[in-house]
Parts: sequence; structure tokens; C-alpha cells
Amino acid sequence: MELLIQTLVAGVLLGGVYALVSVGLNLLFGVVRVINFAHGEFVMVGMYLAFWLWAGLGMDPYVSLLIVAPAMFLLGVIFQRGIIQPIQGTSANMKIFVTVGISIILQNLALFLWGGQYRTVSTSYSTSVFTLGGVTISVGRLIAFIGALVLVAALFYIMNRTMTGTVLRAIAEDGPTAVLVGIPVKKFYFVATGISVMLAGVAGVMLTPFTSASPTFGFHMTLIAFIVVVIGGMGSMVGSLVGGVLLGAIETLAGTYISPALQQAVLFAIFIIVVLVRPQGLFGKGAGTEEVGLK
Amino acid sequence: MTTSKISGFARRHRTMSVATVLAATMVLTGCSGGGGAEVGEESGPIRIAALYPTSGSLALLGEESWRGANIAAQRINEAGGINGREVELVQADVPDVNGATSEARRLLDGEGLELAIGTYSSSLALAASEVYARGGGTYAELGAISEEYNDRGYENVWRTNPSAGSFAEVQIEFISEFVAPELGIGLDEVEVLLVHEDSSYGSSVARSVETLAAEAGITNIEYAPYNAKSTDLSSTVLGMEQADPDVVIAVSYASDAILLARQMEENGVVVPAFIGTGGGHTLSSFGETLGAAADYVFNVDFTQYAVNPDATPGLEEFLTMYEEEYGEGPASGHSLANFMGANVVFDILEQTGGDTSAEAFGEAAAAYKAEEGTTATGWGVDFNDAGQNTLAAPYVMQWRDGTLETVYPELVATIEPQLATEGQ
Repeated sequence: MELLIQTLVAGVLLGGVYALVSVGLNLLFGVVRVINFAHGEFVMVGMYLAFWLWAGLGMDPYVSLLIVAPAMFLLGVIFQRGIIQPIQGTSANMKIFVTVGISIILQNLALFLWGGQYRTVSTSYSTSVFTLGGVTISVGRLIAFIGALVLVAALFYIMNRTMTGTVLRAIAEDGPTAVLVGIPVKKFYFVATGISVMLAGVAGVMLTPFTSASPTFGFHMTLIAFIVVVIGGMGSMVGSLVGGVLLGAIETLAGTYISPALQQAVLFAIFIIVVLVRPQGLFGKGAGTEEVGLK
Repeated sequence: MTTSKISGFARRHRTMSVATVLAATMVLTGCSGGGGAEVGEESGPIRIAALYPTSGSLALLGEESWRGANIAAQRINEAGGINGREVELVQADVPDVNGATSEARRLLDGEGLELAIGTYSSSLALAASEVYARGGGTYAELGAISEEYNDRGYENVWRTNPSAGSFAEVQIEFISEFVAPELGIGLDEVEVLLVHEDSSYGSSVARSVETLAAEAGITNIEYAPYNAKSTDLSSTVLGMEQADPDVVIAVSYASDAILLARQMEENGVVVPAFIGTGGGHTLSSFGETLGAAADYVFNVDFTQYAVNPDATPGLEEFLTMYEEEYGEGPASGHSLANFMGANVVFDILEQTGGDTSAEAFGEAAAAYKAEEGTTATGWGVDFNDAGQNTLAAPYVMQWRDGTLETVYPELVATIEPQLATEGQ
């Protein structure tokens, strides 16, 4: 029984990480209608920024959020203005090609600038744990999990309770009409992409205390993020959270009770089943929204 | 389909011109290739091809490996070269298999470099040496460990470093010579858990261990493969806790080695003997990042730097030259292994009088012998019929207070090994 609980706890915490990484992807899907294959690379950039601030200035990763978050927002704006905007009206395939290209560029730029070795941050709490009723909980991962909850809550608040969020939702619902009504859509695209990339960067920072940064880390994360978003439902932030946690739990349970070698296989099997049975995802906004990002 | 507007005569004329140009090109290329080799033989520098991945995903240790060979060349040139001729390493960057094949062709056929060294990565070594072996050249591997390299039946492939099988051999030997006696149990009672990353690196080492363990009489052995890219190895660690083995043999890359050790510490899982198999457990970042959590982790790998100086002549000199040239210490023992291997190649060339042809090199290499404890890595030299150096073997190291000390065999050890459960 203890094994089951420990496994579940580990799985939920892992799921928090997955949710954290996937939250930003929804915004770009839903509002800007772009499938961003470079999302994982932005997570990687966040990790490296946190690492270099730690290595060079001795800054604790959580403190470095104050610098990394705005920096990543800016990067997102530049990304939107320079890369996405010119191809905004083109086909979905074009957008995929371009973001895949950006992904490759970022990976190799990281390799070129920072070398191939893994960079690991070592803080006083890197291996800290606390035990609750016989179950060990890693401090770093718990903070990341709480971070995911906070971010989803914050995003939810922004999207549903602020004017900015209302405008973004309007644009997502009907882009052409938004333009006709006089909404400066391009400016709001900056905001959407900025927030999306910033969230990716923040996820990276929160992973740093317990994960090593490397140029190729991003690709793995992009894959996970896509699965989470599809299973959770594209466009649904709560879906990303639930989807992420579910995935983490399934993966860890599979690892303990079936075999660690089959963890990834089980993950993808679940993915295929969900796509076949309920393509809009668990919390998807109903049939017809599956093509979000492809229109 | 459009019909050609050129008349029949003009078409034949054009075909003839093209054919003539092609033939001329082939003749000229053939001439320059052959001519170059002949002219360079008696005088001028001894040119040796050096194929290493210095860009791409293998760049970290590819560059490290190249540095060892480079320093060996510098050192011998400072001492006057070979037979008064300078040694020139013609470096080629081979980031992937395609690169390895095309660069090998270019260097062998285009530049006429009959002798090549390299390569760090097994897949690259196999690709490049294939070109050289079939093309009548000689390939001397100084760092890659895949067994297949010497198994293909080629005459002119040589390897100065230990092969993958020897890693498993040393691990089993260490278990039977030290771990089992220390625990007071027989080999048939020792419980071994093999935790390995699931790509070809981890799986091939696991297979080697499996075979050798069976031969040695170790019957309790289980396997726990995992994905090196996982961000969470909880399942693996929990499985380890459940299994409660005497020995864990781990085969990991860099970040998963650190992650595994961290999560073992978090969950309070301690194993009497945790033995890494080179890779991530050797890197200085493992010790630096984990600090005290790395203590008592054993590791089997090429010679590292905390080793008995009496058994590794030339190592101090190597370290000094490395520091001078690159402004930092070596990242791993790969550079040392390539330094030793390059020196062996140069020694063989002394015997051939600078002749890099396959015949001369082959004869001298087959006859070349060196005793253990006489080279910078401590390895001896004695090539078998397949070209493998049978006197090269990895050593067992142990992380103690942030340093990777050598603990086995006795000839090269700096301190005595200690089980993790005794040290705590």
C-alpha cells in the first residue's frame, strides 16, 4: 500500500511538471492559432538563463524568476513580431515548418553557445525532502507543482476576469470579426505570444533545481506538452493541469507496476486511445474545436 | 516531352566532349592522389588523419578525445618528431555517421592519408574504419569501445583502448574479488540489479554483463532499464528499494546519472556497492553537482587522474601540457586514453621509419609490446590477431570527497575501496 501511495505522489508531482510546461502552449493554440514546435526550446532557454544567473551571480533559481520572466516575455514578443506575424495568414503547414525550424535553430544555438555538457544547478534544497506519513516528497518538485497550480489560476484569472483576457478570448472566438470591431489584434497577439513564451520560461526556471539543462532537453518537453494539451483539451487551461497530472500519474504507475522500460509506450498508448475515443480531449470545448491551431 | 533542338551531329559532339572532360578529370585526380603520396613519403611531415566529432551532440567528449591526441603530437614534435620528421595530425570534424564516412573517404582517397586515428564514438568509429579498412588504409581507434570494431575480420584495424566487454569483465571481477568477500557471501548468493539506460549503449553493456555474470556463477541478476531522458526516475528508485540488492551496476549518461543519485538520496536508498560503467558516473560534473551524495559510488572506466603515479609514467607531463594548452583541466579520462593511444601509434611509426602504409604499420604493430604500468594510462600493449590491445583494461574508481580515486586493481590504486554501507 505504501508503495502505491509513494508512486501516486511521485506521479502527481511529475504531472505538475508536465502541466507547468504545457500551460503556455494552450494560449498560442487558442488565440494566435499557431502550433509552436519550439515551445520546449523556450523551456530550455528559461533553464539556461536560470543556470547562468545561478552560476555567474549565485542567484537562487526562484529569485531569478524576477529577471527571467520579463526577459522571456520580451523574447515572446520578438518571436511574434519577427517570426509569427509574417506567416500569420499562411497555411498551417507553413507555421509548423517555421516553428520546427526555430526549434532546430535554438537547439543548435544553445549547443554552440553553451556546449554539449549538462548544466546542473545545485542548491541547498536540491535533495531536500520532507516525509508525510511515511511518504517522501521532494521539496523542489512540490514547489514546481504548486507553481503549476498558481500559474493556471493566474492565467484563468487573466483570461476570465480582465479586459485583456476578454479581448484575447474574443480574438480566439472570431478573429476576423475582432478586426472589424476595431480590436488591435496584432498588439494582442504580442501579448498572447509573450505570455506563452514567458510561461515556458518560467516552467524552465522551476525545473532547474532538480533537472539538468541541455540543448536537446526541449524536444522531449515539446512532445510531452503536446500530448498533455491534446489529452486535456486544446484551449483548456484546466485541461492542461488535469491532463498533465494524469499523465504523470499514469507514467509513474506504469513504471512501478509494469516496467520502467514501458513507461513511454504506455503514455503514447493512452494518447492514441484518447485521440480515437474523444479527439477534443477531456476538457475540450466540444467537437469542432479540435482544429484549433490548424485554421 | 520536348524534342531536342540540337541536330544529331551536334548531340554526338556534345556527348564526346562531356566524356572527354570526365575522362580527363578522372586521370588528373588519379595522378594527383598517387603522386602526392609518393612525393611526401621520404621527406616532409608525417601526415595522419584524425577523425573526431567536435561539433554536434557528441562534441563534449569528442573534443576532449581530440585534445589528447593533439597534445601527444605536440609533445613528440617538441622532442624532434619521428625520424626527424614532424607529425602532422590532419583533423576532420565528424559529427555523425554520414560525416564520418565522407570525411574518411576524402582523407584516404582525396588526401592520400593512409593512416587514421579517432574517434570516441563507436558508431563513428565503425563507419570511418570501414572506409579505411576496405580502402587499403589503417585505422587506429583510441577511444571507442564497441566490440564490433574488431569483429569484422579486417586486418588493418587496431585499437589501443579497452573494449566494452572488458568493462563488464572488470565489474564481475571486482564483485568476486572485493564485494562478495567483503559482504561475506558467495557469488551465487550476491544479488545484482542492472539499472541501465535503454538505448544501444546501456543495452549492449547489459548484454555483456549478462553473459559474463552467468559464466562467473552469479545467478541472482535482474534488469531495470529506464529512459535516459526521463525527468523523473521515481519508479526505478522505488523498484530498487523493493529489490534491495547487494550490488547495483548502472549504465547511465550524464543527466540521468545525477538524477538517479539524487532521487536515491531523496528516498534514502543506499546500496552496499553501486558500480557505474563509465559514462555519466565519470564526469567531473557528477562529483561537483552531487557533493557528498556522490561518495562511495564506484565506477569502472578508462584511467582517470587520481591514480598511482608510479604505474602511469607521463601522466603528470600530460596534465601540465593540457593545462598550458587549454587553460583548464581535462573533463574526463578520454583525453588521457587518446594521448596514450596516439603515443603508441607514434612509437610504431618509429619502428617503421615513418612509413604509414598498411603493410609496414601492420607488421610493426603486431610485433609491438609494452608492459603494464609503462604508459600514461597504466595499460600495457599487446595486440591480438583482431587488432585489439589485450593489455588495456578499465580500472575501478570510487568517488571519495569529491575526487574520483582509483581503488582497483592494486597496481594502480591510490586508496582502498570501501562499501557504501560501511562508510556511512
